[in-house]
Amino acid sequence: MIGVLKSMATTMKHALDGNTFTVEYPEEAPEVSPRFRGVHKFSQERCIWCRQCENVCPNDTIQIVTDDQRNGEQYNLHIGQCIYCRLCEEVCPVDAILLTQNFEFTADTKDEFAYNKEQLKNVPWYKDIDPLASREPDRGAWIGEGDGEIDYQ
Amino acid sequence: MLPLQSATPLPDRISGLLGLGQFGVPGELLAGLLASALVATFVLLNTAVAGPWAKRKITASFTDRISVNRIGPFGLGTIVVDSVRLLSKELIIPERVDRPAFDLAPLVLASSALLGFAVIPMGNGIQVADPEIGLAYVFAIASIASLGLVMAGYASSNKYSFLGGLRAVAQNLAYEIPLVLTGVSVVIFAGSLQMSEIVAAQEATLFEVAGVAIPQWFAIVNPFAFGLFLVANLAEVGRNPFDIPEAPTEIVAGYQTEYSSVYFVLFYLGEFIHIFLGGAIIATLFLGGPAGPVLPGIVWFTIKIWLVFLLTQWCRSAVPRVRIDQLITIGWKGMLVLSLANLVLTAAIVGVIA
Amino acid sequence: MSLEQPEPPTGGDEVGVTADGLDYDELAALVGDNVIDREQHVNAEGFVIRPDAVQDTLSTLRNEAGFDHCSAVTAQEYDDRFESIYHLKKFDDPTQQLSVVVPTTKDDPVSESAEPVFRTADWHEREAYDLVGIDYEGHPDLRRILLPETWQGHPLSKDYNQNQPQVVPLREHANPLEEDHSAGEDSDTMFVNIGPHHPATHGVLHVKTVLDGEQIADIEPDIGYLHRCEEQMCQQSTYRHQIMPYPDRWDYTPGGILNEWAYARAAESMADITVPEYAQVLRTMSAELTRICAHLLALGTFGLDVYGDFTAIFMYAVRDREVIQNLLEDLTGQRLMFNYFRLGGVSWDLPEPREEYLEDVRDFIDELPERLEEYHDLITGNEIFQIRCIDTGVLPPEVAKNYGATGPVARGSGIDYDLRRDDPYGYYDELDWDVVTQDGCDNYARVLVRMREVEESAKIISQCVDLLEEWPEDDRDIQANVPRTLRPDEDKEVYEAVEGAKGELGIYMRSDGTDKPARFKIRSPCFSNLQTLPEMSEGEYIPDMVASLGSLDIVLGEVDR
Repeated sequence: MIGVLKSMATTMKHALDGNTFTVEYPEEAPEVSPRFRGVHKFSQERCIWCRQCENVCPNDTIQIVTDDQRNGEQYNLHIGQCIYCRLCEEVCPVDAILLTQNFEFTADTKDEFAYNKEQLKNVPWYKDIDPLASREPDRGAWIGEGDGEIDYQ
Repeated sequence: MLPLQSATPLPDRISGLLGLGQFGVPGELLAGLLASALVATFVLLNTAVAGPWAKRKITASFTDRISVNRIGPFGLGTIVVDSVRLLSKELIIPERVDRPAFDLAPLVLASSALLGFAVIPMGNGIQVADPEIGLAYVFAIASIASLGLVMAGYASSNKYSFLGGLRAVAQNLAYEIPLVLTGVSVVIFAGSLQMSEIVAAQEATLFEVAGVAIPQWFAIVNPFAFGLFLVANLAEVGRNPFDIPEAPTEIVAGYQTEYSSVYFVLFYLGEFIHIFLGGAIIATLFLGGPAGPVLPGIVWFTIKIWLVFLLTQWCRSAVPRVRIDQLITIGWKGMLVLSLANLVLTAAIVGVIA
Repeated sequence: MSLEQPEPPTGGDEVGVTADGLDYDELAALVGDNVIDREQHVNAEGFVIRPDAVQDTLSTLRNEAGFDHCSAVTAQEYDDRFESIYHLKKFDDPTQQLSVVVPTTKDDPVSESAEPVFRTADWHEREAYDLVGIDYEGHPDLRRILLPETWQGHPLSKDYNQNQPQVVPLREHANPLEEDHSAGEDSDTMFVNIGPHHPATHGVLHVKTVLDGEQIADIEPDIGYLHRCEEQMCQQSTYRHQIMPYPDRWDYTPGGILNEWAYARAAESMADITVPEYAQVLRTMSAELTRICAHLLALGTFGLDVYGDFTAIFMYAVRDREVIQNLLEDLTGQRLMFNYFRLGGVSWDLPEPREEYLEDVRDFIDELPERLEEYHDLITGNEIFQIRCIDTGVLPPEVAKNYGATGPVARGSGIDYDLRRDDPYGYYDELDWDVVTQDGCDNYARVLVRMREVEESAKIISQCVDLLEEWPEDDRDIQANVPRTLRPDEDKEVYEAVEGAKGELGIYMRSDGTDKPARFKIRSPCFSNLQTLPEMSEGEYIPDMVASLGSLDIVLGEVDR
């Protein structure tokens, strides 16, 4: 019986202290960590169309179309299919594809999540945080070359 | 201040006020209907606040959440919105349900609880009828609800509902008897089954502490019976630790699995009215009915039934549900024995004193 | 030693145990003529045996050499043969491993079932039959397990046509649950489908239950509703980058980092990569944070199962997880699907400012005892909870071993088995912590084990924080130098396991010389643990079955993969 009463006292303590841990979301937008991986942002000025992001993507979310001169024509990314692993950002040698902190996106159908180049360029920064500025400068440093002959695939 | 009790029942006073007496039997009937409507509205109002709003707010505060606050002050507008939402849902009637029983079950549940309020003295003379067998009537009418549960469980043609219905009967049988026996111990004290008499019996002063008169509430006179009654009542209304007829994590939602839309609302409503009826019985038998200082009787009465409601929600947040066999064991081997002992002891003590 | 009831052998007298590891020659001599060849796997040696001598070999190895733990059964198809591999271990010392390889011909892929020796082989062989198509002779119930009964073909076999539409007549698909289970008019039992959509199944689990009144007469878990071809996806991804995001999605409670470690360990041992010490500390700390997170969720959902849907426990557990998830978000960039590990290290160092972050972790650890005290008040101290959980869902240690149960389920049955200590990896063997066991064997013991493991994890984390603070500034390598493309040597095979949130999470990989694994097999702890459900709940009441299911703490994402 003591145990039951103790349990009841525990919950009553929580009821009376008046603290809440949930937030009123739209009014009170959560703080997102600088490393958070949200929707991608693409920069055509930086992109060199090396297609490494397309290669590394685990589930073929990125689709790049180039002409026969290897000039970029299309850069499509299905943000509804993406698993937000950030490998594309890690392999990109020029920071052309970045994951913003922006996690707020909606659409009526899944097709609308297939973003093209223009849509990807217009993805806003979340709370104006530029991930390049907020993350540490040594990102990407982990991609080693290994010992011996360098393999450029 | 209006008197706590009134010798004239509510219908008579209404007919007096409106001058319905001259119309004979139809006038009496109309006055009775008006009085019942008044009481029912009061109960349903409480239920409306409790179901979609207070229950959520209370649970939220136990679990450190904010809960409904979008519409109206404190989110009270949710009550309206939720009612519309629930009522506008599609009423799905599964194939092969046992039609009349399936349709009647929610009505039986909701109305049985509502009828119980007819004899409850709510203070300020609000009491539809005051028969001499008031208490027996309340227990009898409240237990009709079990019938509603069996009907729902059996008619739904669903195995979970079936299990839920069976559990509900087993539980109500096991706990109704201790409930009534404990109630009888109060009757022995008061010497009457009439609700107004029971309330009146509790008005006398038991003793005085620093000039404050402590009334002879049976909860104070016999706290043991009060505790027993509280526990048995939890089982009677099917709340933790005795919510096994519904037990969502075991048998989905028990007897109400197949109900949707209006029928579901009736079930939901019926459950809450039942909790409040339980609260009303506890208030009348053990907490002096509508008695209390300063505030009018009806306010005190409301506070008391809400306290009982709060207790059920509090238990939900912190007490595990017992298993069906444990529940039956507790009911027959524990509660029944204790309530019998309580009854015998009370009878002996009252006999010696009187 | 009699054949009927083999006594579990104890230490010293096991065949083949020498001071410096296993003497495989002696073991081969023990099994004798059954061995037709021997292979070298990275983790252990493999004995290739005749397909009709599986039971004989395995029972000899179990009874006389002490291999009492059949971790997993891997099946695969080569160009010229089918192969089933039984990964054997010892509960006493899981570093002593042995793979029993059973080849069968392509024309007649029949091999003897190991089910009579190890009960756990039941489901594992069914899975092998389902996905690869090997027929196990003597198996009591060889049906599909992950795919629907109506599936045509075996998806991991070489001649499987992935583009072939699975045409099944509507008649058979009208209601797959609507089998006629009535046992006639005078039957005393009732058949109930619990799940796939049911509040207590923790996901899409379907439990076929036969009830006798309120008691369970017969019960059979039916899985596969969340099968997402995880093994095949990994087989189509490169070792170096693409596999790592997927382990997060096996056990998403979140056991993410622990799962990543399973893959990282297997791949690193296969490609012979050494991880820098600093990265190992980071790995250990983040993994233990995840473990606390996963155990808290297990506790919260168990609360839901026993208390009902309005209990406060779940929200309190979620509140505490929230703190950890914020910490993990700061570290890894995601709250659930971390993708934090890389082969040879981790992807991020501690976030800057480092002191502030470590201070946050420390604050959480400091507050944890108080929180746990609250849980004990709310849960374990409650008498009604005790009458509900003590002596219900009993799983005796012998049964648990036979079913290959690991993790908190095994430790709740008093089996002292924890890979973090017994088969050390990461930084665990440098730290001071204890393996928690309880002898209750019941639901209560399993809950207690999880709660006490949270304390142990907190101990590990606080030691890691100390280490990270004092780590020399110039030695903070988070990555070994790993080539951009990994191509392990052809026909290298490895089975490595780590202690995941639910138990032994093992990965078997075989390379074929390309940058993608030829076979990727996940040994999911939940899969083996779930098999024990019938043992626990037959004859008990429905609420006890629900509680047992809750205390097993399965994640369907990991069971079905």
